[in-house]
Amino acid sequence: MKKKGKSAGFLRSVGEYALSIGVFIVVWWLYVGLKDVPAYILPSPPKVFKSLVEMFVKGSVYAHLWTTSYEVVLGFLIGGFLGVLFGYVFIKIDALKTMLMPYLIFLQTAPKIALVPLFVVWFGIGLVSKVVLIISMVLFPVLSGMMLGLESIPPDVRNLMKVLKATKWQVFTQVEMQYSLPALFASLKVGIVQAVIGAIVAEWMSGKQGLGYILTYASSTYDTPMLLAGIIVTIVLGIVTYQAVSVLEDRMLYWHESKKA
Amino acid sequence: MSSEYSVELKGLNKIYSNLLKEDTVALKDINLQIKPGEFISIIGPSGCGKSTLLRIIGNLDKPTSGTISYRDGADQQMGFVFQDSVLLPWKNVKQNAEFPLVIQKKQTKENEEKLDELLELAGLSEFKTALPRELSGGMKQRVSIVRALSYDAPLLLMDEPFGALDALTRDHLNEELLKIWQKTKKTVIFVTHSIEEATFLSDRVIVMSARPGQIKEVVTIDLARPRGDVTRNDPRFAEYNKYLRGIIG
Ligand SMILES: Nc1ncnc2c1ncn2[C@@H]1O[C@H](COP(=O)(O)OP(=O)(O)OP(=O)(O)O)[C@@H](O)[C@H]1O
Ligand SMILES: [Mg+2]
Repeated sequence: MKKKGKSAGFLRSVGEYALSIGVFIVVWWLYVGLKDVPAYILPSPPKVFKSLVEMFVKGSVYAHLWTTSYEVVLGFLIGGFLGVLFGYVFIKIDALKTMLMPYLIFLQTAPKIALVPLFVVWFGIGLVSKVVLIISMVLFPVLSGMMLGLESIPPDVRNLMKVLKATKWQVFTQVEMQYSLPALFASLKVGIVQAVIGAIVAEWMSGKQGLGYILTYASSTYDTPMLLAGIIVTIVLGIVTYQAVSVLEDRMLYWHESKKA
Repeated sequence: MSSEYSVELKGLNKIYSNLLKEDTVALKDINLQIKPGEFISIIGPSGCGKSTLLRIIGNLDKPTSGTISYRDGADQQMGFVFQDSVLLPWKNVKQNAEFPLVIQKKQTKENEEKLDELLELAGLSEFKTALPRELSGGMKQRVSIVRALSYDAPLLLMDEPFGALDALTRDHLNEELLKIWQKTKKTVIFVTHSIEEATFLSDRVIVMSARPGQIKEVVTIDLARPRGDVTRNDPRFAEYNKYLRGIIG
């Protein structure tokens, strides 16, 4: 019974999505047709669609899509792991937090685009400089989420673990991690969006591969249909990776208030 | 230090230092000897240091001075029941109850069977797979008691475990608690606000006074066991309550 309600809800939300995108495309089409907008400024939906289909049929997009996805996933995983690690260590060792936090805040507030050339100088124009940028964008939100999560553990849960004479590792794996999950997942969802932005920005500024590269290439050759098609692929990549995190969240937080059916 | 008593407190003081205000003397010169298998209640006005005392006995806090010795020495096993049930929300009833066995790596077949018995005794058998959010307050607290009993620690510390429950549920759980206590022969130290609850459950009631938290009087409750509805209707039950109310003032 529950399942059915869920899938009906899912179908309805897909329908609502389709409707909103449909209306958007119709408005766009009408605007281009009625106002006679030149194709290099704003091509009509069919032109963009054609360019999109060509990318996939001819297969030119796959290598780029793969490169970007690979960077996003790798950077997100490493950044997420480091965020959890630093968040934990900062909560446990106050001195480290006082020492390192200013640098992290600096890294967080510095405009990332300004750092890309520096990363290129340090790590080359290949994978590493891009993954480093992504890590720098994912790390901070995840670290904040982890710290918030760890601080939200009820004091009596810690007391319970003490009464049971649990080891530090047991406290971490059995309660700290689970209690951190709600805040952690909220920050991971910010992180995955940041990761896609980071990958695109990095490719856009350097490199010969990736969706960001397609965008600069299309833009510099005034191939606006291809540019828009590239943007669509990027958005889809963003949605898919975000949904992947969301699904994992639903799985792992089945017990949480926010997931009550 | 080990002791012939289940717990022995000598000259216990606890002072909370505060930069802005005067120091709080939470406990002053507490001396107490608790025999194995005894049911002890601690009662007194709010803020008199009951929780502080229990936390110190439970090793969750350090006394400023004084000594505690347990029957089994420094690594005495204890069960602690908190005011809120503190169940882990992602674990179901069974998993919460057996959590101590997992932590202490004591998931033997024998212990699992004992746990099933306890769950049965607490009327939770049918709810083994329910998540905490699906339980009533009374049921949660029962799970938390079973959890505290699951690893068979000889000493059970309880801080107002039924404080948040309605009077009927509380009376009912009190009777269940006594049954479990009689079966398992544990030493229980029970903090409460309710005079009737203290009288009904205890062998001895420790009455504390506020600021500084001191033991005012220890009252031995000489009512027959097993206790039940008959006890509550006994005129001596009412007399004990009246007497205790008089001391607490
Ligand atoms: N961590 C702390 N820091 C400073 N003062 C504290 C701390 N914990 C308790 N106190 C003080 O110690 C005194 C005793 O507190 P305690 O919680 O033991 O009282 P209680 O008898 O359990 O009260 P209640 O019946 O309301 O639960 C109170 O005056 C309280 O303000
Ligand atoms: Mg208290």
